[in-house]
Amino acid sequence: MTWLSPWSLLWLGLTVPLVLLYVLKRRRVDRVIGSTLLWEAALRDLRAERPWKRLIPTVALLLQLLAIVLGALALARPAGAGGVPTGATIALVVDVSTSMDARSGEGDDSRLERAVSVGRELARALPPGGRMMVIAAGAEATLLAPPTADGATLSRALDALAASGTATDLEGAVALAAERLRSAPSGSRILLLTDGAEDGEVSLDTRGVPVEVQLVGPEAPAEGAAPTDNVGIVEADARARVGEGPDRADLFARIRNFAREPADVFLTATLEGRDGVLASRRLTLEADASVPVVMAVDLPPDASGRAAVVRLALSRSDAAHEGMQDDLALDDVAVVPSPGARRLPVFLVGAAPAPVERVLRADTNVELFATTLQALSERDDDAPPLDGLFVYAGEVPDRAPPGDSVVVAPRGERAFEAELGAEVEAPRVIAWEESDPRLRFVTMGDVHLARLRPIGGSAARALVTTDAGAAIASITRPDGETTILGFDPSTSDWPRQPTFVVFFRNLLERARERRASGGVAAGGLGDALRIAAPDGASVEVITPSGERLDATSRGGLAIVPVRAEAGVFRATVDLPSGPRELHALRSLLDANESDVRARLRFSRAGEDVGAAPAAPREHRESWPWLAALVLLLFAIEAWWASRKGAVA
Amino acid sequence: MSSLLDPEFLRRLARVRLLVRRRFAGSAGGARRSTRKGQSVEMADHRPYSPGDDVRRIDWNAYARLEELILRLYVAEEDLVVYLLLDTSASMGFGDPPKLDVAKRLAAALAYVGLSGSERVGVVPFGAGIGTPMQPTRGRRRIGTVLKHLDALEARGETDLQRAVDELIARRTRPGLVLVLSDLLDPGGYQRSLDRLIAERHEPVIFHVLDREELDPTPGGDFNFVDSERGARVEVSLDQRTVDAYRRRVQLFLEGAEAYAKKRGLSYVRAGADVSIEDALLAYSRAA
Repeated sequence: MTWLSPWSLLWLGLTVPLVLLYVLKRRRVDRVIGSTLLWEAALRDLRAERPWKRLIPTVALLLQLLAIVLGALALARPAGAGGVPTGATIALVVDVSTSMDARSGEGDDSRLERAVSVGRELARALPPGGRMMVIAAGAEATLLAPPTADGATLSRALDALAASGTATDLEGAVALAAERLRSAPSGSRILLLTDGAEDGEVSLDTRGVPVEVQLVGPEAPAEGAAPTDNVGIVEADARARVGEGPDRADLFARIRNFAREPADVFLTATLEGRDGVLASRRLTLEADASVPVVMAVDLPPDASGRAAVVRLALSRSDAAHEGMQDDLALDDVAVVPSPGARRLPVFLVGAAPAPVERVLRADTNVELFATTLQALSERDDDAPPLDGLFVYAGEVPDRAPPGDSVVVAPRGERAFEAELGAEVEAPRVIAWEESDPRLRFVTMGDVHLARLRPIGGSAARALVTTDAGAAIASITRPDGETTILGFDPSTSDWPRQPTFVVFFRNLLERARERRASGGVAAGGLGDALRIAAPDGASVEVITPSGERLDATSRGGLAIVPVRAEAGVFRATVDLPSGPRELHALRSLLDANESDVRARLRFSRAGEDVGAAPAAPREHRESWPWLAALVLLLFAIEAWWASRKGAVA
Repeated sequence: MSSLLDPEFLRRLARVRLLVRRRFAGSAGGARRSTRKGQSVEMADHRPYSPGDDVRRIDWNAYARLEELILRLYVAEEDLVVYLLLDTSASMGFGDPPKLDVAKRLAAALAYVGLSGSERVGVVPFGAGIGTPMQPTRGRRRIGTVLKHLDALEARGETDLQRAVDELIARRTRPGLVLVLSDLLDPGGYQRSLDRLIAERHEPVIFHVLDREELDPTPGGDFNFVDSERGARVEVSLDQRTVDAYRRRVQLFLEGAEAYAKKRGLSYVRAGADVSIEDALLAYSRAA
């Protein structure tokens, strides 16, 4: 039991003046009697027996004392454990790791939903002056609601809680809560709601702020708790079979059974967005064991030549759509880019210098298309967008294409957002950005340029600098980047050096990775999609479950919050040049998160901290009953006083 | 006839006689043995003959045996002086009925008994000192005078038995039966006073007049008890513990008075409260 208003217990101090009134200030009636000799002697006897004899425990005194005690207890608002004391602040820290999405059975609440229920009960039970804050403990601690008594704010914050990511910084979240509660009133505390489905130990450094850990998973140490039943895909990849053609690939996966009983499951591979099964395998998994799976499949390219995405799904039967029906559904599906996604279309626009064309052709994962600016401008509007790396030689369009591009020895005064200076002879390389991925393993000290048009402009960032200006620069945009070479490599000795090949391989690999990932920055399950798009561009996202989400780009980025869901999120960016298709692949592929058993230990100052099972508690306060008792006591006291008066 | 005595009560008093444990020298022949040897038929002692003695009282049988003249001495039967030492202090005015009424009624009865027995009866009211006394008188017909004197007495003033006894002795009174009718609630105590009476060859008899509420107060209430004589104030909450303590103290007081009387060979009779006057008188007479 807790006292929601412990300061009200100070009302118990009223018993002191009450007793004093009885002892010192009693109203006495004068009565003349024959002699007080014997009374004096009797009182001397009493005083000799007990020095504090002047306190006379009458029924009225006892009733009034009891009324004060009960009244003070009622004002102190006794409530079941979990109540919030008056004026105190509760910091609700909720673990939002992916394992919190687990549920014990179909129709059951997920762990996160249970945690939210606990939070709602707490918010509903906030006493006058009581406040509550909500912190989501994900990869980073996020303050969803500052200390507030506003139910709507708290409700919105609780609604915003969603399982996401594979990392949980419980320590950081608790530390953040402790920091915010450092000057909070007495009775404030931290309530950490987690499933404890994580390896290791969490040190709860709360700097003296009380912390309570409640487990929301079924493995909370309760008798008769249902055992964990989860089988998940913990690793997945697709690699081309060397020597067997670009369409032949091996699918690699590792399936792990976290249950106490053996499991019999099917692993089925399909291509995202296409009918038909690529491969299926029946697996018998021992309890708490994993099996590796390798499946050889054909991954034919689609009509547009775009990279296919392989979807791996677990099911109890050979019908993939029936699913696993286990505790955690998020690890029953994984999506991986097919090896074909490594093949990068490169559109060579204009007459590229021979060394450049040669190095592009040397890469086996490059499909080189030679074209011209005029040809590109004459494409039909309804033609599928070109998705690849554009390499411009000489002529440069006014506007950069979506995605990545390279400009070699541009003509004119500008190359996109960069400005080009007058040609200078034999500039000397004096510096280069070693930390840039494009210059990885590249040294430019031995490169000698014959001519250079230095690159300038605020948008251009110099990668290689000569004494005449930037020789190589980069322009970064939300939807891609452009690398500009202000010189013709064939007029330098750079092509004869290995670093020339390395530089272009770095360029191609960078563009390949960006394209294989679908064009959307990588992230964990439930993480918001961060889609690069020009300011004001509208973005539509279709989730794996078919839900449509809309967002508008601000500051070159459209941030689209999504639920934790494994699969392909397809985004369409509405650009002036036409819609641009992007996609994001989201899979759990984390054995730590798939293991939804509670095993995390909590310690504080080197000592273990116990964790209790959490459950939404009905807010129950006892003060109305105590108040009723006080009224009853007053009635009895009044009756007693009248009775005493009648006797007198 | 005063309201202090009614005919039925007088009829019952016929069976009562004043109890005297000692002998007193009287001034006239009476129904009481005197400390003086006299001419009654009851021999008291012998003494050697002295010239001038009445030769008729020589014990010749003794002379025959002892060859010495021995005079026979007889107990003289003389009247007894009875002093009704009546407490009229303010504390006697309390009670239901007031203790003074009980004491006056008891004194009237005792006076009647005494006068009926040819004793000399005097009334000595006292408070802080002796009030207006009534000199000892004889004869049943004098009862009216006694009652009239008793009727006139009122309760007032403090109690000072010592002073009253001193004044009584200072008046060179004849030793006699001193019937002390009092509640004995004297701040100075009563023992020394009664000892003084005994020393002066009086025989005190204690009639301890009490009130029921005084013996057994009813619990409940908070009071400032004001002493009727001294004006002293005592804060008392009549809870059960206090009442119990008071009862213990009263019991000690009563037992102390009774023990004192027994030790001195005095008669001790309680009156008032639950003891009627008749019962008190009968208890006194039974003590004989």
